[in-house]
Amino acid sequence: MIHVRVYAMLIDLVGSRTLEVEGARTVKELLDILDSRYHGFKKELEKGFLILVNGVNVLHLNGLDTEIKDGDTVVIFPPVGGG
Amino acid sequence: MYGNWGKFLRVNLTTKEIKVETWDEELAKKWLGSRGLGIYLLLKEMDPKVDPLSPENKLIIAPGPLSGTSAPTGGRYNVITKSPLTGYITFANSGGFFGAELKRAGYDALVIEGASEKPVYIYIKDETVEIRDASHLWGKIMSETQETLKKELKDENIKVAWIGPAGEKLVKIAAIMNDIHRAAGRGGPGAVMGSKKLKAIAVRGTKDVPIANKEKFMLTIREKINKLRADPVAGGGLPKYGTAVLVNIINENGLYPARNFQTGVFQYAYEQSGEAMADKYLIRNHPCFACPIGCARMNKLPTIGVTEGPEYESIFALGSNLGISDLASIIEANHMCDEYGLDTISTGGTLATAMELYEKGLLKDSELGKSAPPLRWGNTEVLHYYIEKLAKREGFGDKLAEGGYRLAKMYNGEQYFMGVKKLELPAYDPRGAEGHGLGYATNNRGGCHIKNYMISPEILGYPKKMDPHDISDDKVKMLILFQDLTAIIDSAGLCLFTIFGLGPDDYRDMLNAALGWNLTTEEYLKIGERIWNAERLFNLKAGLDPKSEDTLPKRFLEEPMPEGPNKGRTVRLKEMLPRYYALRGWSEDGRIPEEKLKN
Ligand code: SF4
Repeated sequence: MIHVRVYAMLIDLVGSRTLEVEGARTVKELLDILDSRYHGFKKELEKGFLILVNGVNVLHLNGLDTEIKDGDTVVIFPPVGGG
Repeated sequence: MYGNWGKFLRVNLTTKEIKVETWDEELAKKWLGSRGLGIYLLLKEMDPKVDPLSPENKLIIAPGPLSGTSAPTGGRYNVITKSPLTGYITFANSGGFFGAELKRAGYDALVIEGASEKPVYIYIKDETVEIRDASHLWGKIMSETQETLKKELKDENIKVAWIGPAGEKLVKIAAIMNDIHRAAGRGGPGAVMGSKKLKAIAVRGTKDVPIANKEKFMLTIREKINKLRADPVAGGGLPKYGTAVLVNIINENGLYPARNFQTGVFQYAYEQSGEAMADKYLIRNHPCFACPIGCARMNKLPTIGVTEGPEYESIFALGSNLGISDLASIIEANHMCDEYGLDTISTGGTLATAMELYEKGLLKDSELGKSAPPLRWGNTEVLHYYIEKLAKREGFGDKLAEGGYRLAKMYNGEQYFMGVKKLELPAYDPRGAEGHGLGYATNNRGGCHIKNYMISPEILGYPKKMDPHDISDDKVKMLILFQDLTAIIDSAGLCLFTIFGLGPDDYRDMLNAALGWNLTTEEYLKIGERIWNAERLFNLKAGLDPKSEDTLPKRFLEEPMPEGPNKGRTVRLKEMLPRYYALRGWSEDGRIPEEKLKN
């Protein structure tokens, strides 16, 4: 079971802040599963995203090919910023 | 001259003399305007060693060449003065409408000198400039001041900058406020204004800023506005959730400070996030002058009605950093800070210092006064009670009014002050973004994020994603770029949030079209570097000791982050700082060589 947390516009789309996903071996597979469950999920991330696996940005791991396993936490933000 | 008027106002509050002076294109090409013009004038005219609260300190209020134009976010101004909190330069930046109005009155800056004996305000309507009695305004909070002045001047459109009771009482963390909730906050400029007995500046400007090539300018800014609108942050996340959208991002990345930076993860972050605010209290957003982004929030609470804010920084300062989760209490506290004219980051930082001193047993109940709420983490009563005491310098509040550094020193707990050069730190634990930590240590106004916002590359990925724990030369160079570029954005009179969508070339395009210049991006960055070096020079002349002051609180250098994604991390400042000096072309001990200054 992968623990997923989503934020900003993604909360409205998913209808919840947290969810559990099974059967994803990479972040990419996880996004595919989420997109099939919540239509338009990947579209929200088209212009950019901030995805953390156990707190580390996937861009400093293996990008969308970063492997994930049971018990991992994946956090997904659409592009957001401020200061 | 285009963009700039080539004119500034000098008002001496001791002699009551009012003069219009000029500056020229050659100087503009060196200093651009606003923040750059301010440091140029201060270095030229003032001994950096003056007492910041004496009549000898000058208070410069300056919009930039793009302020008052239709350039996106062109409503900003800077307050440049010697800070009573740090003893060094401060350049506090604010949005709203006041800066644009001052520019449209025909001035590139207002230089305030001396000090009045009695409370006064300055009234400016284009060429009419008067120093008027403000005895009836003294002691008034923000909303009353604005209302009284509008009625008195019979002008609904008048734009006002003022100080609250905190500035009047020379509270070292007092802000200058404008347009109700906008603040030039950092470094205590409100106390400088208070020391001059200047309660307010009321401005009405009716002129169009001169633009070199109007057609080209309009085309250029249309292109830049479209870029901002198309950007997912400037045109999406920021308008929808405001800066508070950062709460969850920074918390999930493990650098959202809680309980005076004892940790970088706050359990109740979501409850105080932009998402929660939009759900519960938001009624609309409220853009500053000519701003297509509109990050500012208008919230409504049953207790205080409609108010603006709080920003991300204020939520951390008055929330997580005090262990407080309740968003309604934070919104109320933010509103109080605005009413009294206080910098929210420093107010929260000072309270956080007090709370840790209390936790560690250095500050005892007997010090706090009868019926004072205990300074316990998470106690929302702390906010209302101590903010009022602090703003009025009543009882224990008189000690809080000195800011966190001096407070910690009074109780022998300097290690519990989380700030740099006596300025309380903003909302990012540097153990989770080391380049940002180097920024804190080297920032000319002390512990500030906004003049070198490395969170942008290190966490958010703008203009490119950099590993927050990479400390290579690339990182140091990016920091220097951010420092120099921000000096340009500030000096142009624009909002830093345009970096979500615009790059260095875009600022060049807008400036060239407005000013009628043909400078390259590198030449603009050179101006930014000059401004940065001049500010550093001011600090060195004021007595800055780089060795002991270009640093971070021990907590970040020696205490590993206790939990979260950055568990075990400290900031490797020692490894970065010498390379920063070298890449800046400074000496090994952080001083600026003569040849550099000649440029
Ligand atoms: S982005 Fe926000 S702070 Fe900046 S000018 Fe626009 S509304 Fe004001």
